Amino acid sequence: MRAAFSKAIVDAAKADPKILLLTGDHGYALFDDFRKALPDQFINAGIAEQNMVGVAAGLAKAGFKPIVYGLAAFVPVRVLEQIKIDICYENLPVILIGDGAGLVYSHLGTSHQSTEDIACTRAIPGLTILSPGDRFEMAAAMRLALSLHSPVYLRMGKSDRGDIHSAELILSAGEMLKVGGGSANTAILATGSMVRTALDLVEQGLDAEVWSVPSIKPFNCKQLNDIAKNVDLIVTIEEHSIIGGLGACVAETISISSTLPVCRIGIEDRFSNACGTWDYLLKEHKLDAASISYKIHEFITRIKIGSSVK
Amino acid sequence: MSEFNSRQLRRTVLEMAYAGSTVHIGCAFSLIEILAVLYRNHLRYPGNDPQAVERDYLVLSKGHGVMGQYACLHEKGWLPKSELDNYFSDGSRLKGLSDGHVVGCEVTSGSLGHGLSVGVGMALAAKLAKTDQHCYAIVGDGEMNEGTMWEAMLFATHWSLDNLVVIVDENGFQAMGKTSEVMKLGSLQDKFSAFGFDAVSIDGHDELAIESALAQLKANKNGMPKAIVARTVKGKGVSFMEHQNIWHYTRLTEDSFGAAMAELECAQ
Repeated sequence: MRAAFSKAIVDAAKADPKILLLTGDHGYALFDDFRKALPDQFINAGIAEQNMVGVAAGLAKAGFKPIVYGLAAFVPVRVLEQIKIDICYENLPVILIGDGAGLVYSHLGTSHQSTEDIACTRAIPGLTILSPGDRFEMAAAMRLALSLHSPVYLRMGKSDRGDIHSAELILSAGEMLKVGGGSANTAILATGSMVRTALDLVEQGLDAEVWSVPSIKPFNCKQLNDIAKNVDLIVTIEEHSIIGGLGACVAETISISSTLPVCRIGIEDRFSNACGTWDYLLKEHKLDAASISYKIHEFITRIKIGSSVK
Repeated sequence: MSEFNSRQLRRTVLEMAYAGSTVHIGCAFSLIEILAVLYRNHLRYPGNDPQAVERDYLVLSKGHGVMGQYACLHEKGWLPKSELDNYFSDGSRLKGLSDGHVVGCEVTSGSLGHGLSVGVGMALAAKLAKTDQHCYAIVGDGEMNEGTMWEAMLFATHWSLDNLVVIVDENGFQAMGKTSEVMKLGSLQDKFSAFGFDAVSIDGHDELAIESALAQLKANKNGMPKAIVARTVKGKGVSFMEHQNIWHYTRLTEDSFGAAMAELECAQ
């Protein structure tokens, strides 16, 4: 996925000299190709993310198209106010890349983990939020972001989970993509790294259809309602807090149109207790495949008991 | 009467503040001469178009002084009197802090420490595009408490933005009191110099001194960003407002409005 990202920005910047890449002193190897090919379009803004985003706003106001890169803990979370006031209020064409979203920096601890970035960006008007799940979605998300000419936050999470698609695709804003499972009574809506996990669960025998949600905002409410019409249960899975993320977005939408139960699976309202591998931390937060499977079955049992009590 | 007459600009501010029953009069008055000189002699708007691509940029990073800028935008012909007269009425467009949606205002400020970075970005854009545009950023001395100001200064020097002119409206006050009592700033000229700026200190109400500093600094195409530390008086121009921080918060009454206007009619 990172190679797809690197290729996307190099190709885009070669085609359009107005595209500038700004980084807050992060991306040492990631930007080798960009720096070599386009040194005049590369700006290392130093370890000063707030200024970097303000500078990007100024560049955009003057006609440039900045792509601002940082770790998700810093871009967008540390610079939220700059995104709100300097970029989104003026609807400037700035693409913000938050790398290592979720628990990717599992050994480094809370400062580098980002499980609240969707929640805090979702409420900012005019900001598109993209969360690709593999290299094909990444390439499509970058093409979409570059075509919008408005603010975009692109969330880049665990990037080495393999493909979920088999070919290049075109993504439109808000679109969900069916990636697995047949016609089932349960629809799993997952984003980023958790799409692969959802597919793994189906391969292990869970009867569910799997949808990837690479565009969290805007969100295609009609498409969700169409999916909801054909199932008894919607499950959301995300490497993000269950507060304010994809699950919240789905629950908010469903609550208007249906009484369908929504099982939101993500990181509960707490920080990581310890450090370890990414897989270890997923288990600690009960986001590994076995824990998720257990949670889904537990939820279904609870619903059944609830219905029988009625 | 010369263009951008400081007494007229202050009268416009008072009329707005009285019409809208608003605050922030003191911090608008301290930067009037700075604005007057910039609009009169330095800011270039080809075709008198505030959105001309090749315009100079004026960033009011201390957005609290925005009534002073509104008065200038009115003189430029970009804000009709009816909007000034309806300041703060329900549904009106002009807000109490600099707002990027108002044509002529480059940034949305009020949350301090934002505008300078945006201005630095615009100055960098001019350098990258190889134009001769300048960016003037008016910042408050209280605003220098914000860490982003120092991030922006480092960046401006590193990128050799000698087309950036930072003007500090050093009126010595911030919201809760004197800057020297809230957060000691020391010599801002020394600090800007230490950060690699061409920096001078002047009387911020002496239009000749402002003009001279701007002309001299802009002539130095030496790769160093510029800073003018303008010593000013909060509430300047009306005797009972000068140095009185309460005029950051106080609204005009019929009596105080009348007394202030009378002083500005008489003032030389």
